Amino acid sequence: MVKRVRNFFKGTYLGLMLLFLYAPIAVLIVYSFNASKTMGNWTGFSLIWYRALFGDAMIMRALGVTLSVAALSAVIATIMGTFAAIGMHSMKKGTRLVIENISQLPVVNPDLVTGISLMMIFAFIGLKDGYTRLLLAHITFNIPYVIFSVAPKLRQSSNELYEAALDLGCTPLEALIKVVIPDIMPGIVSGFILAFTLSLDDFVVSYFSTQGVENLSIYIYSMARRGINPKINALSTLMFVAVVTLLLIVNIKSIREERAADTQRRKVAKKTA
Amino acid sequence: MSDKHLIELFDVSKEYDGDAALKNIDLYVNHGEFLTLLGPSGCGKTTMLRIIAGFVMPSSGRVLMEGRDVAHIPPYKRKVNTVFQKYALFPHLNVFDNVAFGLKIKKLPKAEIERRVNTLLELVNLKGYGKRWVEQLSGGQQQRVAIARALVNEPEVLLLDEPLGALDLQLRKGMQVELKRMQQRLGITFIYVTHDQEEALTMSDTIVVLREGVIQQIGAPQDIYNEPRNAFVADFIGESNILPGMMACDYRVRFNGREYPCVDAGFGEEQPVEVVVRPEDVDILPLAQVGGNGMRGVVKSTLFMGVHYEIQVVSDGYTWMVHTTDAVDVGWQVGMQILPDAIHIMRPRP
Repeated sequence: MVKRVRNFFKGTYLGLMLLFLYAPIAVLIVYSFNASKTMGNWTGFSLIWYRALFGDAMIMRALGVTLSVAALSAVIATIMGTFAAIGMHSMKKGTRLVIENISQLPVVNPDLVTGISLMMIFAFIGLKDGYTRLLLAHITFNIPYVIFSVAPKLRQSSNELYEAALDLGCTPLEALIKVVIPDIMPGIVSGFILAFTLSLDDFVVSYFSTQGVENLSIYIYSMARRGINPKINALSTLMFVAVVTLLLIVNIKSIREERAADTQRRKVAKKTA
Repeated sequence: MSDKHLIELFDVSKEYDGDAALKNIDLYVNHGEFLTLLGPSGCGKTTMLRIIAGFVMPSSGRVLMEGRDVAHIPPYKRKVNTVFQKYALFPHLNVFDNVAFGLKIKKLPKAEIERRVNTLLELVNLKGYGKRWVEQLSGGQQQRVAIARALVNEPEVLLLDEPLGALDLQLRKGMQVELKRMQQRLGITFIYVTHDQEEALTMSDTIVVLREGVIQQIGAPQDIYNEPRNAFVADFIGESNILPGMMACDYRVRFNGREYPCVDAGFGEEQPVEVVVRPEDVDILPLAQVGGNGMRGVVKSTLFMGVHYEIQVVSDGYTWMVHTTDAVDVGWQVGMQILPDAIHIMRPRP
């Protein structure tokens, strides 16, 4: 009896939590298929808003900006962040801890502060091009996340691997490319996907740092100020699906890795037993 | 020094942040030799290996290979390969590609790589394992891959850093024999690091005993065991009874209240010395066979070890460690005998 009550509350609690989290998005997704233009008035299933969305040149241009900035900034941040993490890893412990902490500060820094400070520095150095500004801003806030996902893999990786590569005739650079980087590749890939996702859904930093160029989030914001258009629902639905897919890929990947590591450990344990 | 020495270390020292890891090491290694660096952990043996491999630069002193100073030669240009303690196999490559790694770096033709890798896999009894991932192999198999990966490059010297440390006893014994056989067959110089004295005694041509960064003794296994130069070596290589003594004159030594004939001379008269007697060199006699002033004692403990008993006998206040095949019981009175050539005299530790 007690157990049933407990289970009931457990289930209810979880259900309520998920409801709170996902109800707004569910509403949005449902209404993106609404035939009527007014919110809250369901007149039937339709894909007109999706059609309208893809016919809207402004939105398509903004989407292009968002996707290209996300891809470019993720690639560049992954390269820079990976090398930064490798560099930090080989530092002496004291210096390393200081640098590591400094590099993680921007993560807790409010987006608003990051955005405004970037805006100021771009104005200060006289960088006019909106697209370049946007790209630089995204690279900036992405790098710490890449470091964050690469560093633990480096710590797991043994320094002996690098030495073994040198021992077998690799120059330090060859050893890095042929041994160290393949070994930390899972961390690099997660870092890249994380960076890509963060760049996709960023609004605040983009809004403040760019000028003249609109990515999706900025465009939606300006569109929403003129009144809610169901095209936004369709667009938001697509973005939500894209981001969720990416996050699922990251999570499933890490769960699989953990499981593989687990079976491996069990196998080894069995052998030694 | 003649130029036939493969590796020479002159007055090599290494400090880590003011802590000396190696102090004034002089050592040479001959072609085709199996040399073991033996000592407890922290004695500097691994540091020495890493200096030869090129991962660590000595703080002072010179390292020569085939007569050439290698101070500015990085690891990847040395004709030396290492078998690492934890194998350090590349997890993203299969067995074949692990072994082929060094040859691919040297950009050898594909057919030759394949031939050499397969030869080596056969040598280490891993024929047909090329496609496996290293994670799927047992510890002993990974060990063999590590050895094959190093040997395939045909190094002048193979460095082995406690390569059998992670294996269980039975596997370790088997690998010891196999490694020795490989070394003899290939004629490659092995420099082997271990803290296991038994392993050192079985495999080596030459043993270098290290303690706190200082070489204690260099010699053949028999010499190290039979003629330890000081009490540390005597104690570290097998068990020993070590007593303070007095050299009465040549061939006569006094310890534990008695005078014994011995085979050592040249220590002077009435000089303090240290006396080492191996436990298997103490003979247990029935009381009846001991003369009036013969050595006698009381059995304090016995431990059955299979082939022999390990017993402790208290005699004149000193507890002797004795290995004997005679069965005795705790509390028994027994006689003891030490023959002259079983007594090793050493200068006392400063």
